Amino acid sequence: MNSEPIIKVENVTVRYDDRTILEDVSFNINRGEIFMIVGGSGCGKSTMLRQIIGLETPVEGRIYIDGENICAARGKQKKEILKKFGVLFQSGGLFASMTLAENIAIVLETYTDISQECMAELIDMKLASVGLRGYDGFLPSEISGGMKKRAALARAMALDPMILCFDEPSSGLDPVTAASMDAIIREMNSALGTTMVVVSHDLEGVLTTAHNVIMLDKSVCGIIAQGDPRKLKAENKNPIVHSFFNRIAE
Amino acid sequence: MKKTKKNKDCFRINESANERILTPILPLTLTNANAYDKQLATTKVVTDCSKITLDFAEANLMDFDSYLVIFINRIRQFAKEKNVEFAISGLPSDRRNFVDLFSRKITSELPEQENNSSIGRYIENLGKKFQKMWRDSYLLIEFTGNLLIALVKMPFQMKKVRWKDFPFHFNAAGVNAVPICLLIVFLIGVIMGYQGALQLHQFGADIYNADLVGIAIARELSPLMTAILVAGRSGSAFAAEIGTMKVSEEIDALTTMGIDLYQFLVLPRVLAVTFSIPFITALADLSGIIGGLFASLTTLNITMNGFIVELGTALTYAHVFSGIIKSMLFGFLVASVGCFRGLQASGGAESVGKFTTAAVVTGVLLIVLSDSVLTFVLQVLGI
Ligand SMILES: Nc1ncnc2c1ncn2[C@@H]1O[C@H](COP(=O)(O)OP(=O)(O)O)[C@@H](O)[C@H]1O
Ligand SMILES: [Mg+2]
Repeated sequence: MNSEPIIKVENVTVRYDDRTILEDVSFNINRGEIFMIVGGSGCGKSTMLRQIIGLETPVEGRIYIDGENICAARGKQKKEILKKFGVLFQSGGLFASMTLAENIAIVLETYTDISQECMAELIDMKLASVGLRGYDGFLPSEISGGMKKRAALARAMALDPMILCFDEPSSGLDPVTAASMDAIIREMNSALGTTMVVVSHDLEGVLTTAHNVIMLDKSVCGIIAQGDPRKLKAENKNPIVHSFFNRIAE
Repeated sequence: MKKTKKNKDCFRINESANERILTPILPLTLTNANAYDKQLATTKVVTDCSKITLDFAEANLMDFDSYLVIFINRIRQFAKEKNVEFAISGLPSDRRNFVDLFSRKITSELPEQENNSSIGRYIENLGKKFQKMWRDSYLLIEFTGNLLIALVKMPFQMKKVRWKDFPFHFNAAGVNAVPICLLIVFLIGVIMGYQGALQLHQFGADIYNADLVGIAIARELSPLMTAILVAGRSGSAFAAEIGTMKVSEEIDALTTMGIDLYQFLVLPRVLAVTFSIPFITALADLSGIIGGLFASLTTLNITMNGFIVELGTALTYAHVFSGIIKSMLFGFLVASVGCFRGLQASGGAESVGKFTTAAVVTGVLLIVLSDSVLTFVLQVLGI
C-alpha cells in the first residue's frame, strides 16, 4: 500500500485578526493510524482541525490530503477532497429535526443514487456498527449524549471515508461512555483501516488509543511535543508536557 | 454507472454440477449499487444446486465500500431462502475484517419493538394528543397562577424584579410598534369608512358614518389589530428569546442560582407590553378615525366639521376607555403566552421555532376569545 503520509501539514499559520493562534506548524499523519491532537484548553486544537477539514483556510501554509492541497482547492475539486472525510463535531451536529435514519440518508442521497431498499440496509448497517440498531426512527433529542455522538459517527461513516475526524469525541460523556467511544475508534480503525484524526484532552483515551500525538501549546503557538504518547509520558522532560501526561495541575 | 448499463455484467456465474460460483467484476461500491441490484433481480442466482460460492479471487477489490457488505448479505440471504450452502472464498483479510465488523452487528437481534395494529396505534396517538392538550392547558393554568403570585408579591419585592429590562422591552414592544400599528389601523379605518359609506348613503344617513367608524375603531378594531400586531412582533420575540435561553440551559442556570424566573424574565416583559399597549391603542384610535374621516370626506356629502361634531356626540368616554382597557388585557395575555411558550421549549433549535409559532397562534386565539367574552359581558353591563 501507499506509504506516503495521508495528511501533510506544512508551515501552517492561523491568525484571527491580529491574534496568532498557530504559527508555522508542520506535521504528518500516516495512513491507517490513530492520530491525536492534544493540549490545554484554547491552545488551538479545534482550530487546527478546522484547517485540515477545509472549513477555514490558513493565512500561510499548505495542507495536503492524500496528495492534494485542500487550502488551494475550490469548487468541485474541494468537494472531491471533502468526500474523503467524515467529521464528528464536538456537539455532534446532528440535524435536530430529522430522525437518525434521515440524518444518515441525507448524506447518501447527496452523493449516491442507490435505491431506497439499499439505503435502508446501509442505514441499518451503519447504526448497528455503532450499537444503535433499531434507533433509526428516533430524533436526536430523544437519545442520550453518548448515543448522539455514536449516531453522529454513524453519519460520518456513511460513505466509508478514508479519514475520520473527531473533535473531542468524549467531551461531555461519563468515563465509561468515553471509554466506549475510544473502543469504537479503535475497532473502526483496526477493522476498516480508516485513518483517525482525533482532537482530545482526555488523557486516558490518548494513552490507550493513540498511535501518535502532537501536543499544541499557547506558549509557542504550535507543537511542543510529538510522537508516541506512552513514550512522551515516560520520557519527555518539558514541564508542560510532563504535567499534561502525568495529570499534574499547573 | 453509465458504462455498466450496456450489456456489461456486474458479476459472472460459473455453473458446475451442483455448485454455483459467483464472481463480482465491477468494483463493489455504492456507485455500482444500482447496476448490481438490477442484475441480481433479473438473474436466477440459485437454481438446482446445493452450494453457492462467492469468489473474490479475481474481483477488483481495490475500490470498495459498504456495498460489499450489502452484496454479501444479499447472496447469503438467497442461499438461506433456498436452503443452500453458502461460502466465501478469496476475500483478503483486511476486507474480511471490514465485512465482519458490519455483518456481525447487523445480524444481531433487533431490540423488542411493540407491534400494534394500525387501529391500535391510531387510538393510541389520539389519546396521546388529548393527553398533550390537557397537559398544555394544565401548564398554562400553572403558569398563570405563578404569574399572578409574582404580580401580587411584586409590591413587596420591588427590588427583585429586573426593572433594568423594562425600558428596553417598553421601547422594543411598544415604541417601535407604533408606526406599523398606526398604518394598519389607519387603513382599517379607511376600509371601514368606505364600506359604511356605501351602506349608509342608501338611507341618506351619511353623517352616521362618523358614529359607525368612531365606535367600531375605538371599541374593537383598534385594540384588536394592535394586539394582533403585538402578538406577531413581541409575543413571538419573547418566545424565541426565552426558548433559546431554555435550550442553551440559561434558564436552568437561573433556576439553580435561585433566581425567580417570573421576576427576572416574565414580569419585565409582561408589564412592558401591558403598559405600552394602551398608548399604542390610543394613537391607533386617532389614526383609524382619521382614516374613516378621509373615506367619508371623499365619498359622502359631509364636511369635516360635521363629522367631528357627530363623532363628539356619539363617541363617549366609555367607548374609548373600554377599548383601551381591553387592549391592556390583550397585551397582558399576548406577552404572558409568549413567555409561557418560550419556557416550554426544550431540546434544540427546532423546538424554539415550534413554540415561537405556538406563541403567536395561542396569543391571537386568546385575544379573540377574550374579546368575545368581554363584548358579551360589557353588553350585559350596559357599558
Ligand atoms: N472564529 C474565531 N475568531 C476569533 N478567535 C477564535 C476563533 N476560533 C477560535 N478562536 C480562538 O482561538 C483559540 C483556540 O481556539 P480552539 O481551537 O477552539 O481551542 P481548543 O484547543 O480548546 O479547541 C482560542 O483562544 C479562541 O478564542
Ligand atoms: Mg475545541
